[in-house]
Amino acid sequence: MRAVLARHGPFLVSLFGGLALWEIAGRNTGAAFMAPLSETLLRLGELFRSGKLVADTLSSLSIFTTGFLAAIAAGIPLGLLLARVRLLREAFDVYIMILYATPMVALIPFILSLMGFGFAPKVLVVFLFALFPILYNTLEGARSIRPELIEVARSFRSGEWALWREVMLPYTLPYAMTGVRQAIARALVGMIAAEFFLSASGLGALIMTASQSFDTAGVFAAMLIIGLLGIGLTRLGAMLEAHFARWRH
Amino acid sequence: MTTTIASPAPILAVRPSGAAVARLAAGIGILGLWELVARLYAPSFIATPSGIIAVLPTVLSSGAFLKATWITLAATAEGLVAAVVLGTAIGVLMGRSLLADRLLRLWINSFNAMPMIVILPLLSLWFGYSAAARFWTIVFAAIFAVIVNASEGARSVSRDYIEVASAFRAPRWRILFEIVLPASTPYLLAGLRLAGGRALIGAVVAEFFTAIPGLGYFILFNSRTFHQNEAFVAVLLLAAFGVGFDALVNHATRRHLPWYRRDEAAE
Repeated sequence: MRAVLARHGPFLVSLFGGLALWEIAGRNTGAAFMAPLSETLLRLGELFRSGKLVADTLSSLSIFTTGFLAAIAAGIPLGLLLARVRLLREAFDVYIMILYATPMVALIPFILSLMGFGFAPKVLVVFLFALFPILYNTLEGARSIRPELIEVARSFRSGEWALWREVMLPYTLPYAMTGVRQAIARALVGMIAAEFFLSASGLGALIMTASQSFDTAGVFAAMLIIGLLGIGLTRLGAMLEAHFARWRH
Repeated sequence: MTTTIASPAPILAVRPSGAAVARLAAGIGILGLWELVARLYAPSFIATPSGIIAVLPTVLSSGAFLKATWITLAATAEGLVAAVVLGTAIGVLMGRSLLADRLLRLWINSFNAMPMIVILPLLSLWFGYSAAARFWTIVFAAIFAVIVNASEGARSVSRDYIEVASAFRAPRWRILFEIVLPASTPYLLAGLRLAGGRALIGAVVAEFFTAIPGLGYFILFNSRTFHQNEAFVAVLLLAAFGVGFDALVNHATRRHLPWYRRDEAAE
């Protein structure tokens, strides 16, 4: 027991201290300003029982997952291709750098007028937010493959496909996973921005409608769920990166 | 960059390199494709390269645009400075004090994992649809990247330096300003680079949301009133700021900290 306390003590103090602070702050400020933890949890229970919470979370996650998987499916092969074909790389690397540093949110009004409301434009937003970190990191990783590796594979008469599958992809995956981890954070921002500014849906809409009806507890409940989602997905990204980092360097 | 070192220098320095030609061709190709597809398949109000070029002089010399640019840039800079000052203070505290780290780490990491724009509806409840809501959005969007990197940096300071300084009875503030902060500069710069990008996103998102004047609102308003070409000029400017800020920080890192490799930083 004491060993458990000594090990997890600081974590528990931090967790419960923070939650207590939330409760106290919520009780001592106006109802429109902040909702205490207890009220937030009650509201969360209501949302859960009505089925709205689950439906909204699934709706958000389906946008996130579709856009994110599309970004991985496009970003990794494209990164490898650009690393392999020097001419293509030289032609496009500057533009990828530029798009990597561009705040993609600025494109949302254009996507709205081009594609309207619905599922596809939101997926496109998530895709755009996630693509460039993955593409950029994959390209940088694949570029750092030692030429000897490719030369050896070649001298053993490896075909292009085998070279990709057995040399380039395994070598590059750790770098690509760094991109994937960065992309998770960006894609979450994209998901929420799409749900705010395209047609309101999912968890973004849950927050918006709650704030428009001055339902502070509802706002905090939705933020709590999005926060937990963010923590979970970030963990997943860190785990993926750590898993593949084993053969890095 | 490496290829210019590896290959023998051309006799005539003015001859354009293959890379530059490829780059230019790709750029023209992308713009041409965009123009073609937009003209063939999209409604006429959709932004096209030729349309953007045509409106460029008018937009760049219009008072409304310049004012919007100034407002957004100033707000971003203001929020970023607040986030950097506050974030560095909290981060250094966490990096140097185990107690502070244990108390705060859980919450800082959790907030850092959260898409910070979710705080906008709450901030608009608190501050109304105002510049204050934008300011705090920018601060929240930027600060956690600063804290995480500053704490990594402060923790990574070699213990020897601090022991020597204390052995010579250096006061704590001198250790802080003359050892801890300079030694964690690479981390602070890495944090700044991340925070700058996030601050810009925060500013644009806040302006979309609250419809207060600025570049974000300029984009929103013009694209809604079928002036997409004008709106796109603002997007290009935002992209230029994003790229420029990145380049500035990278340049500072390379110039002043040549011993430092970027990929060591925490993100």
